[in-house]
Amino acid sequence: MTPILQLRNVTRYFGSGRDRVTAVDSISLDIEPGEIVCLVGESGCGKSTTGRMIVGLLPPSDGQILYQGQDISAMDKPDYQQYRRAVQIIHQDPYASLNPTQTVRQMIMTPLLRHQSQRSAQNGSGGGRRSRRRDVERRAAELLEIVDLTPVAEFLDKYPHQLSGGQRQRVSVARALTVEPKFIVADEAVSMVDVSIRVSLLNMLSRLKEEFDVTFLFITHDLALAKYFAWEGRITVMYLGRIVEEGPTPRLITDSRHPYTQALLGAVPEADPELAKKKTHIELRSAEIPSLLNLPAGCTFHPRCPYIAEGECDTVVPPLERISEGGSVACPVRMSEPTQII
Amino acid sequence: MSQSTDLSWHQNVEENGRQPPLSLQDVHVSYRTRKGSVQAVRGVTLDLQAGESLALIGESGSGKTTLGLGIVRLLVDTAEVSPGKIIYRRDGREVDVLSLADGPMREFRWRDCAMVFQSALNAFNPVLKVWDQVWDTAKAHRWNNREEVRERFLDLLRFVQLDPSRVIDAYAHELSGGMRQRTLLAISLLLDPQILILDEPTTALDILTQRTIIDLLRKLKEDLHFTMLFISHDLAIAAELADRVATMYAGQVVELGPVEDIFYRPRHPYSLGLIRAVPTVTGGFEELSSIPGSPPDLINLPTGCKFHPRCPYASERCSSEEPKLERVGDNHFAACWHTDAVQDDIERNGLRGKKRS
Repeated sequence: MTPILQLRNVTRYFGSGRDRVTAVDSISLDIEPGEIVCLVGESGCGKSTTGRMIVGLLPPSDGQILYQGQDISAMDKPDYQQYRRAVQIIHQDPYASLNPTQTVRQMIMTPLLRHQSQRSAQNGSGGGRRSRRRDVERRAAELLEIVDLTPVAEFLDKYPHQLSGGQRQRVSVARALTVEPKFIVADEAVSMVDVSIRVSLLNMLSRLKEEFDVTFLFITHDLALAKYFAWEGRITVMYLGRIVEEGPTPRLITDSRHPYTQALLGAVPEADPELAKKKTHIELRSAEIPSLLNLPAGCTFHPRCPYIAEGECDTVVPPLERISEGGSVACPVRMSEPTQII
Repeated sequence: MSQSTDLSWHQNVEENGRQPPLSLQDVHVSYRTRKGSVQAVRGVTLDLQAGESLALIGESGSGKTTLGLGIVRLLVDTAEVSPGKIIYRRDGREVDVLSLADGPMREFRWRDCAMVFQSALNAFNPVLKVWDQVWDTAKAHRWNNREEVRERFLDLLRFVQLDPSRVIDAYAHELSGGMRQRTLLAISLLLDPQILILDEPTTALDILTQRTIIDLLRKLKEDLHFTMLFISHDLAIAAELADRVATMYAGQVVELGPVEDIFYRPRHPYSLGLIRAVPTVTGGFEELSSIPGSPPDLINLPTGCKFHPRCPYASERCSSEEPKLERVGDNHFAACWHTDAVQDDIERNGLRGKKRS
């Protein structure tokens, strides 16, 4: 099967000259239809930049992004429009991503009307304006039901400020669904929502995957959430613009190989006092993350890595290599050392 | 360092009794708004024991930050703290913080009770270097020996594992988030306060930075036996750092107990709901479940138990009668009519969700 989305050596710079920052440094990633992939990393690792490039909000500086096998930068207009519809993003902040002057009804119906008029223009079928509007209203109600904003009538005429954070995020999801996407990038989509509500949002997103065959790229800094959401999928760990490890979620969580992944897993605070005491923490050689303006040579993690092999790690950029347990690791020194955090 | 403070002290009756340094007695806080009065904190009674770390956990709107700010009286003008008492004790004497005049109140803050705020960047003056702010603080508390202050601050910076030469002449924006948070912690310890209040000390920090802060706070707790009050929405912070946990919902403490009791033997449905909603990283996959509904409107609170509209165990009694905190174990209290049902549920279904391999 053709992967729904492929990144080939995608790089993104910001600024120029001495101020040039490499946010994403030659990453490659294939995502199959129906897969769930989590992109995990700390702030500044390039995960959001990657997400924005995938949905076409930001062009790559170098490399290619392929949607259904086609390079998006070489698409003709209809293909490009179809790609932009098929690949949607849900932003982190539901307070900023919704127009405060529009009601839920307007936010959902505008794209539906536009989408429908485009489609009927293509098919040549007209249908009365009024009946079209009725169809759209019905569809809007359906979408709100899908995202559990029920009873629908109660929500249609609300403005964003009248909704809670969780409800707003549901509106964002419903809005993304108006164009029947095949691929959704969820960029920290639940991180601003209270814990008691997070799970129901995640479960709702999982349901979309099942019911609508949506492929997900879930971007988060929270490994526990990544584990929960992508247990049947894959996790990709980024550090300073590069992928350092990726693999099936159970393997990556229980038998991580890259020292950075291990450091992250060990560092995550656990909501369980016994577990918190038992966990081994990897002692890093430095607590400070290097500046993107002045990246270390070789493996960018080497100044902090406790397993550094001098002369190797500080000169050669380690390639991502496959391991037999599943996935790949960019650390020749530690890739064959099974490690458990507990 | 321990210059005497100038509070209007009352001699404590039980001078030799080991009294907690901070006692909240039936504290209420409300905010005046055009729509009505927002009942942010409703009758919190809590003792903070010497040397213990207590975590206040709850979601946004539960009143935890309001309570923290209320203790150091930094609430906005529209807030009213009444009725209630906030009793502070030091050296066998005690005072009601709410009755302090402006001058003594300024003394109380920082020297007796320091607060580390949630947003470290906003806590700094952007146009002053770190050292200038430290010196300002010291002077405001009439500590005028520049050399001494500098010496003390350098020690503190080393304690929080920062390179003093990198920090002392820097502006806040020149420091990373983690460095800023650690600097703030160092400044909060400058006057050797008896109590430290930390509002979401690790929120918005990256995982590895979070870990350094948590380890640092643990050092404060285990080596120096600092008396600390943590305010956090993050259960993990409580699990990592607290001796006791108070769960807050709709402005009240609904469960209070030793950390193991709250995490392994919760008796309030809301505490149990939170535990079942939060994933752990290590270990296998566990099913999670969320708490239905959303937090209540604090202007028009539900009748009876404020959690009853979201509670799976709710009965008729819950919608009419509000439960008070009752003892459910050694030092363990819960405000719920159905603590037995919660216990049953845990025994039947396990504490956390089903495991998947």
